[in-house]
Amino acid sequence: MIDFINYLINGALVGLLYALIAMGFVVIYRASKVFNFAQGELVVFGGFIVWWMVASLGLPLWVGLPLAFVAAAIFGLLVERVFFSRLAGESVFAMVMVTIGLLILIRGLILVLFGPQVRSFPIIFPLQPVIIGDILIPRSLLVGGVITVIVGFGLSWFFNRTRAGLRMTAVAEDHQVALSMGISVKRSIAFAWVLGAVLSTLGAIIFLSGKSLNFLASDIGLAALPVALLAGFEAIAGVLLAGLIVGIIQGLVTAYLDPIVGGAIGTVFPFIIMLVILFIRPTGMFGWKTIERV
Amino acid sequence: MLELNNVEVIYSDVILAVKGISLAVPDGKCVALLGGNGAGKSTTLKAISGIIRVEDGRVTSGNISFDGKRIDKIEPTDVVRSGIIHVMEGRRVLRHLTVEQNLQVGGHMESSGREVRKRLDEVYDRIRRLAALKDRVTGYLSGGEQQMVVIGRAMMANPKLIMIDEPSLGLAPLMIDEVFELLKQLKAGGTTLLIVEQNTRVALDIADYGYVMENGRIVLEGAAEDLRSNEDVREFYLGLDLEGERKSYRDIKHYRRRKRWLG
Repeated sequence: MIDFINYLINGALVGLLYALIAMGFVVIYRASKVFNFAQGELVVFGGFIVWWMVASLGLPLWVGLPLAFVAAAIFGLLVERVFFSRLAGESVFAMVMVTIGLLILIRGLILVLFGPQVRSFPIIFPLQPVIIGDILIPRSLLVGGVITVIVGFGLSWFFNRTRAGLRMTAVAEDHQVALSMGISVKRSIAFAWVLGAVLSTLGAIIFLSGKSLNFLASDIGLAALPVALLAGFEAIAGVLLAGLIVGIIQGLVTAYLDPIVGGAIGTVFPFIIMLVILFIRPTGMFGWKTIERV
Repeated sequence: MLELNNVEVIYSDVILAVKGISLAVPDGKCVALLGGNGAGKSTTLKAISGIIRVEDGRVTSGNISFDGKRIDKIEPTDVVRSGIIHVMEGRRVLRHLTVEQNLQVGGHMESSGREVRKRLDEVYDRIRRLAALKDRVTGYLSGGEQQMVVIGRAMMANPKLIMIDEPSLGLAPLMIDEVFELLKQLKAGGTTLLIVEQNTRVALDIADYGYVMENGRIVLEGAAEDLRSNEDVREFYLGLDLEGERKSYRDIKHYRRRKRWLG
């Protein structure tokens, strides 16, 4: 029983981590309708920036982390300015192809800037787990989970209540209408990329704290995909719940099914969920349903 | 005063949609832009608001000015800021947002949240129907209600001039009357209107001045009452003959229109 609770809690927290990465997806998708294949690479790039600031330059955490966020924001802005603002008005498909190019580019950029070695990521959150009775919880995931929930509700409030957020939601709905009301679509998309890059860096810190850092970490971008799909690409707060569901299912499947089938089903299972969602409800649980007048 | 001088619009560098038109919309007046499908009416509005650029179109010659300032080279955002708002064809509500959120988005240029609230109350006061619907998701509203929402949304920006593209499109006759009643109120309140319509009767009813477009050119213009009694307009757009009898559109010899205007 105690094992079960352990799996449940850890699954949930991993799920929240996925949710945080998925938020990066969702924010960019909402503003630009671009499905960003390079989300995992943004996470890794953010990770390397943090590593560079904190481990390589040796800045204290309270200086290094804010600087890393600023650097990530600038990087996000740069990506939008260099690639996507030129493509305004082109087909969405073209932009999605660009994100694949971006994926390759970022990988190359990391090689050039930071070298090919596996680096050890600085320990941001203390390594000793939080122990409640017999339950063991990794500290980074616990703190990360709390941060994710706060960020999730914060963003949701921002997009539905504040004026700047509503502007961005209008852009998410219809670029032309937003433009006709005097909303700068370019600026909204740029801001979305900044937000996406910052969220990815935050995800990198929680995900990588005390772990080793190399390209393989970009797989988290793929793992976040089922979460974004389950929630629906427009829903910010819904991502939290979807993350919990995917995380818990994955945790339990890994614990109970892996030994039976000989491993790895836990990693595959979220994608099975993803396929099923695509069959039965392509707009996700909380996504914008296609409203059509007949 | 909005002025267009020999404006020419080209889409995708090849399609000449507007072939050098000039028109003027004086302050506080209502001007109607009439004409059949594909005449270039919507394109003209999009050229004024600047939306044309995201459709791969360009104003290639002529100039557009509002209150003496050129607006054909500036960003759509700045056009709105200068006081012109464009209500696009087809009731483009933000479908997944509520009525109130739609209106709030319309008022996004106000300086503070309190100002937005104030404008919101004004709009609710003008369009009572919207106050009752404020928490409804706009995608599920009826066509007439959606038209009210987009007009209300335009009012939120506190514009000097509202350009409306086909407000009567796909609405029931009673609803059309209601929409135009609202437009009349707006006009009475001092807002300048530029209306694009296919429904010539209702448009000439509210307008002070009208232009008729065919094939990207203005073929006829005049005060609304003159247009109403113009032989060609009566025949081709109002479906009446000279004595005021209803005439079947089937009997209209459209080649005559072509000869007279397009030749």
